[in-house]
Amino acid sequence: MDFELTQEEKAHRKEYFDFCKELEKKRPASFIGLEAVFEVDECWQFHLYCAKEFAKKGWLGLAWPAEYGGSGTMMDKVLFAEARGYHGIPGVDIFGIQMLAPTLLQAASDPIKKEFLPPIARGEVMWCELWSEPNAGSDLATLSATAIKKGDEYVINGQKTWNTGAHRADWGFGVFKTDPAARKHHNITFLLLDMKTPGVTVRPIPYIDGDAPFAEVYFDDVHVPAKNIVGQENEGWAIVNLLAGFERSGMGEIMGMYRELEELVEFCNTTKRNGKLLSKDPLVRNRVAQLACELEAAKAIAYRIADLQNRNEMALMDASAAKIFYSELGERFAFVATDIAGPYGQVKNSRWAPMHGAWEKKFQECFVTIISMGTNEIQRNIIAWYGLGLPRMK
Amino acid sequence: MDLRFTEAQEILKKASRDFLTTECPKTLVRELEKSEKGYSPELWKKMAELGWMALVIPEQYEGIGYTFQDLTVLLEEVGRNILPGPLIPTVISTFPILEAGTEEQKKEFLPKIASGGLIMTMALLEAEGTFDASGISVKATPKGDDFIINGTKLFVEMAHVANYIVCVTRTKDGDSPEKGITLFLVNSKTPGIHCEVIPTIGADKLCEVRFENVAVPKKNMLGKIDAGWPIVEMMLRKGSIAKCAESVGAMQTCIEMTVAYSKERVQYERPIGAFQALQHIMANMWTSMQTGRYLVYQAAWMESEGQPCAKEASLAKAYINEVYKDVGQWAIRLHGGIATSYDHDIPLYYRRSKAADTSFGSTDYHRELVAREIGLK
Repeated sequence: MDFELTQEEKAHRKEYFDFCKELEKKRPASFIGLEAVFEVDECWQFHLYCAKEFAKKGWLGLAWPAEYGGSGTMMDKVLFAEARGYHGIPGVDIFGIQMLAPTLLQAASDPIKKEFLPPIARGEVMWCELWSEPNAGSDLATLSATAIKKGDEYVINGQKTWNTGAHRADWGFGVFKTDPAARKHHNITFLLLDMKTPGVTVRPIPYIDGDAPFAEVYFDDVHVPAKNIVGQENEGWAIVNLLAGFERSGMGEIMGMYRELEELVEFCNTTKRNGKLLSKDPLVRNRVAQLACELEAAKAIAYRIADLQNRNEMALMDASAAKIFYSELGERFAFVATDIAGPYGQVKNSRWAPMHGAWEKKFQECFVTIISMGTNEIQRNIIAWYGLGLPRMK
Repeated sequence: MDLRFTEAQEILKKASRDFLTTECPKTLVRELEKSEKGYSPELWKKMAELGWMALVIPEQYEGIGYTFQDLTVLLEEVGRNILPGPLIPTVISTFPILEAGTEEQKKEFLPKIASGGLIMTMALLEAEGTFDASGISVKATPKGDDFIINGTKLFVEMAHVANYIVCVTRTKDGDSPEKGITLFLVNSKTPGIHCEVIPTIGADKLCEVRFENVAVPKKNMLGKIDAGWPIVEMMLRKGSIAKCAESVGAMQTCIEMTVAYSKERVQYERPIGAFQALQHIMANMWTSMQTGRYLVYQAAWMESEGQPCAKEASLAKAYINEVYKDVGQWAIRLHGGIATSYDHDIPLYYRRSKAADTSFGSTDYHRELVAREIGLK
């Protein structure tokens, strides 16, 4: 058992870190929290800029086959995520690159791959996911937005919600009911659509903190070319499962927390309370050390997932466990950090706020990773049913 | 990076698992808990034949020359099964001899340990129960060709059957507690040593060892005088990782047993494992174990490679200490009433979760080490 990176991997890692370190100097001051990209105009612009810079390096197509402009390995992808996470750099479209591209590579027709992959690799097209609906969250299969075949088009009607970045995205991938009469799981189709298509209305949803990372999307007779299909008609559920299986190891979020931990340590080393530095308080030391332990555990399982994926092996249980763990760790981190900050923990980004209000933001934002991408309760069901073989109650 | 076990490690795993299943069933575990010795000399001999004590001793000293990582592979199986006895204290005691011993000491001790001929343990903790050097007050005073040891050590694992005790003494009051610590290899038969087993939750025969004018030859000093604390830290570090590996195996058994039971036990006309509340608890148990597992593997690999890993070892021990206890208590709760009986196997593991959390450093000791390593001033 060997945790060592190869010389080449180490060299790549250094390259990613050096490049991201430089990009960090250009990051706007308003870039606070994980969703800033979608919430703040200048942060979205920075995201587009970084995407172009990464595209020039060929880094948006890491682990893709060379014929679609790809290079590098799964490990490179993970190492790149480490660098971006640590330096807080956007530029990699979660939806287009982390979710859609591997799905297209595995399940789409050649014409679809040829049409849609290159613009993703060039950082020219940003995507959003059009899955959830007001009545279809965890139970996505009960969705009701329809896409009715008419000639060589599908006509879409209905509503999607919780669509991260839909108010910014160029294209969206979504699942719609194409055969209302057919049985559940065999009546939906996976389609790709231009968000500028007439009939598409996007309304940002204000989050708990008032900023808008996601939107709801209304479809009013939206005509979409039937050729823009992934997989078979009415068999979109299989594509949904495939996409959901491309689990992110969470390395980006985890490395982001390493950076936050360093900042928390620095805060404790420079802030006095009751006549002494916070870092001298045994309770502070104990709680921060515990965060460090949990963070290292999160990183360890992320490497486990990277290792499995590097060999194209399934990482179902580990991926669910990792997602539960790092997302809830983010919440614990926010609770501990805002607690250590005392009354300042409640202060929003302003001259009084520690870390530009990053911890206050995290206290509110932490639910995003816990609830999305399969809620942690669903992830626990996955571990129980498919990992531990426990019976599903009908 | 390749996080799979090597073929040799897979063989070691399977062989040790099969051996333990046959040779150390739970009936023997319970028998040994109640026995005076706390281990089986017959089983110890068989383990020696398999080379378990020789695993990390270099071939030149009649060992097998495997790596520290290989040792942790074995210990995970030991934890899975439960193996009462002095294996871990003995094996961990080989490291100070290997790293700080004279050639003479290595030649005298290592081959005997390798063959199973010597049971070893470390005497560190004293009345305060702290792992800090400030807790060391057992004195070693030079006298002629000897040092005379006086004082009382506590929680010394298997001291009552050990042949030699690695005793951590204070030879000088330095400007800091870490300065002035010296280690000695003390023959347990030396006059003046009184050993008494403390009854503990893990039935692991932790002993009070009183030293009354115990004369130890100078040549049994391990490492340099007054400079022994780094050796202690090394033993705590390696011992921590070893104990963590054992705990990972123990958690694996707790989870396997709990999942299996929940599939069989029927209440309200269905297996209790169908209830989501329990399913989520079991998913949490698995998550705790699996995140801890790779944390331990990382530390074991670094230690095996000789990379500095004081931080990683402490990160692992502090984490595993807590998750093993948590997994253990959920294992009992999910079994319900039956697991509150002495005769059930789960409590064997649960009780050991408390023993494990102190062995080679408590959670707070390790968290403090982590706090320092991450730069808290």
